[in-house]
Amino acid sequence: MAQDMPPRGGYEPVQYKRNLPAKGFRPGIMLLGMGAIMSYGWYRLVHGMREANELGREKMWARISLIPLLQAEEDRDQVRRYWADQKREKELLGENAKIYHTDRFVKPTFAVTPPPTTN
Amino acid sequence: MASRRAQFNQQLLIDTTPLPADIPAVKEIGASSAPLLSASFFIGARCRDYNDDYMQCKTENPGRGEFECLKEGRRVTRCASSVIQDINTHCLAEFRKHWECLDDRNHQLWQCRPAEWKLNKCVYDNLKLEKKIPDQPKNVTPVELRPTQIFSDVRIGPGDGKPFAAARSEAKQ
Repeated sequence: MAQDMPPRGGYEPVQYKRNLPAKGFRPGIMLLGMGAIMSYGWYRLVHGMREANELGREKMWARISLIPLLQAEEDRDQVRRYWADQKREKELLGENAKIYHTDRFVKPTFAVTPPPTTN
Repeated sequence: MASRRAQFNQQLLIDTTPLPADIPAVKEIGASSAPLLSASFFIGARCRDYNDDYMQCKTENPGRGEFECLKEGRRVTRCASSVIQDINTHCLAEFRKHWECLDDRNHQLWQCRPAEWKLNKCVYDNLKLEKKIPDQPKNVTPVELRPTQIFSDVRIGPGDGKPFAAARSEAKQ
């Protein structure tokens, strides 16, 4: 009986590589493209950040111009309430007790208020 | 210590007792945040000295500034009131447009540039007060004069007017 032999001329080479077409651009081009997109993004970002800084400066100076005004109003109100409180205490108790061992103005933690009035 | 939050047993604390009679009365500014922000640079331009005096007084009287600086505080408030009063007299329409824009746009100054330019021009023509932001870099256009605002929601069109800079308009004349 004849033995099973390879075909004449040998076997076909076995195809172990996938035969897929290379899609898209070359890697170098892709890298360059990515660099271009990133550069443009950074360019826009840097401009935005610089403008944001300037806007922050503008906001800060607007606030700086207003702070004395707002603080003066608040201080006046606090002093008015403090003196009213002292007067009320004097009327009720006859003397003003010094409750803090300091000359500084201390914002009251607790406050006695007159009953709500309508004006 | 002086800046700690007060704790009260009722939300609205009404004490109508006025200041003693020997303290001169001053009418409070009475403007809300948007008009104040809109007028802030003009207040800063006219009341710079009063503001500085007040802040210096507060610095020199640490902890006692509330009592010692009442006089300076009154001056600050009077000066700011005078600015608001003058703007109301001369530029009411522009002023109202700008602060209503700010009120609607989350107090973002960059959303309201066209209205701001008109207000700045009117205020400069009538009151000679100029919006100036210190410490800006010299080599770029100041941010309030840029015709394209990167962050604004609406593009500034050609019909919205030109940026107004006091120095530039004087150089043209």
